Parts: sequence; structure tokens; C-alpha cells
Amino acid sequence: MELQDTYYNKSEYVETASGNKVSRQTVLCGSQNIVLHGKVIVQSDAIIRGDLANVKTGRFCIISKGSVIRPPFKKFSKGVAFFPLQMGDHVFVGENTVVNAAVVGSYVYIGKNVVIGRRCVLKDCCMIEDNSVLPAETIVPSFARYSGSPAHLITTLPEAMPDLMTEFTKSYYQHFLPTTA
Amino acid sequence: MAHNIKILPGATVCEDCTLEGDITIGGGTVIHPRVSIIAEGGPIIIAEYCIIEEYSTIIHKKSDKQENPPKPLFIGAHNVFEVACKLESIYGHVGESNVFECRSFVGEEVKVGSGCVIGAACTLTAPQILADNTVIWGSEHHVREALEKQPSQLLQLDFLSKVMPNYHRLRKPNVHKRQPSRQSQEPSPKP
Repeated sequence: MELQDTYYNKSEYVETASGNKVSRQTVLCGSQNIVLHGKVIVQSDAIIRGDLANVKTGRFCIISKGSVIRPPFKKFSKGVAFFPLQMGDHVFVGENTVVNAAVVGSYVYIGKNVVIGRRCVLKDCCMIEDNSVLPAETIVPSFARYSGSPAHLITTLPEAMPDLMTEFTKSYYQHFLPTTA
Repeated sequence: MAHNIKILPGATVCEDCTLEGDITIGGGTVIHPRVSIIAEGGPIIIAEYCIIEEYSTIIHKKSDKQENPPKPLFIGAHNVFEVACKLESIYGHVGESNVFECRSFVGEEVKVGSGCVIGAACTLTAPQILADNTVIWGSEHHVREALEKQPSQLLQLDFLSKVMPNYHRLRKPNVHKRQPSRQSQEPSPKP
């Protein structure tokens, strides 16, 4: 199935040399600590907190409207530390989602209105459904599909998940076009 | 609306947030960007050492039941408002050391005690009083009592107040006057 074209206002988005499309309405705190590896879309009102710790994403990631990407903190006996947040390739983050994870693997689908608790680890090829709440320090295995609050395993995903996510994120990127007005 | 925002020394308040009405922010409190605090029904007083994260909303609602002049909404010390939580209140008092987790909603006429945790994505709308140390979690809103007090976030606050000024434009504290009671405690240096 072909995705429909999504149009955006050309003056609202900045396109970098590596093909990242970043809305001007986002809050990128500490931009020197944020690495977007190319062909990443960051939509309006998303917040990426690079001031707390480094945030790295892979290629073909989609950060939807109103989502917050925020490195997690951990308390030690002496002081606190914010951990760097790593995201793999072909990751989709839905609208109004809060990601406090430590690691998000590649080919991961995160729905909308999801809360990913502090220091969660999402392995490659997993899926978190809409409106789920993943408690802190959860480890989501590969090919698992989690849902609910608190989220738990409901089914497993098909083996073709990497191909599905690659195709989905690539076609999303290709169909994310400036208005030709 | 008259804007009367008092920021006490030691507070870290980002410029990129919406503050409307009569608001007092205590020392040591950290307010992240994109926070909305709206005092339409009366003043809001936020005590010391609170953390208010992105997209949180605190509204002091207008109400007919409100007496005149309106009572302030007082938010105690050491409260944590995580990302995108929402607190709407017409009156009252929020205790100390509460945690409002991500995307939680606390409606009007909910009285929050001290040491409570409102879990991620939980919504409380019915009029109720949360006793001290209540924990609410999950989609079915399970309730239990916490065995111990919520740990203090002082270390995180320390880190944030050190790091945030390097990356954000901050609103400057605009209240420098000391409380008279404090002044009397400290003997004035004699020349």
C-alpha cells in the first residue's frame, strides 16, 4: 500500500545537507549534543533535550508532533547523571509521546500518547501500541508487541518487521513533501 | 489580565514558558521550557525545590464557589511535575513531595496530600481527597499506600540548576528583598 503524501509548509521546515527535515517550531535544547544521522524528520512542537545528555538517532527516524525525547537520569550515591539516549535506524515515534528510554533499537514503532519510562531498553524490531505506558527500566525484547498500562507483551511480530519498518519510514520520508504553492 | 510574576532568587525559570496572572515561584524550583502556569482564578504560589518539566500545565481555575478575594493555589515544596502532566484546581493546597508522572491529569476538586504519586497517564476527575502517601497507577487506577516517603530530588535539582543556565535563556529573579523576619535573625554588620 502506498502512503499518502503529507505536505508541509516549506518555510516552516529546515532541510540540512544530510536530508534531515526539522521544523522551526521544535525545541532543540543543546543542539550541539544532538546528532541526527540523516533523513530524519522532526515535526513541530517536538522537544529534544540535548542539554541534559547526548541524543543520537540513526537514519530515517520520524519524531512526530508534540513528542518529547528526553535522556533519562539515574541517581547514584554521589549525585545524579543523565544518560545519553541512543536511537537506531528506522524508528517511528508517534504524536505526544514521551520517550525517557536509555536505548531504542532499530526498526522500532512507538505509537501515539505513549509514555516510555526512565531507562527502558527497547531492543531492535519491537512495537509499542498507542496509549501504552512502559514502566521505568523495562526491557522490551525483539519482535515483541507491547500494549496497555502498565504495558505487557500481547503478541509477537512477524519476521519481516525490519523490512516493514524500513519500507514504512522510507516511504514516509519520500511522501513528506513541501507544498508546491 | 494583570501579570504579576515573582521569581525568588535561586529559581531556574526558562524564558520559553507561559506564565499568566499572579504567580510566585520559590527559590530552588526548576521550570523547564514549554511549561504553562495560568492563574486565571487567583494567585498560584509554588514553594521551593519543585521540578516542573516540559509541557506541564498548572491552572488555577475560575469558579463561582471561590471567595472574594480569591484564595491562592499553594503548591508545596519538593513536588515533581513530569512531562505533559496537567493540574487543574479551583482552590486549595497541594502537599509536599508529590510526583505527578508523565501525562497524568488531576482535575478540579481533587485535594492532593503529601508524598502521593499519580502514575503515568492516570486521570483523576471526581472530587476526592488523596490521603498522604497514596500511589495511583495503571489503566485501572489501582491505589496503594507507599511504604516510604518519596525520595527527594535535591540532587537532580542541583544538576539542573547548574546545567540549564548554559543552554537556556532564563527569566531573572525579580524579588531581592529578604523577608523581614529573616532580617531580624541576622545581625546587621556594624561599621
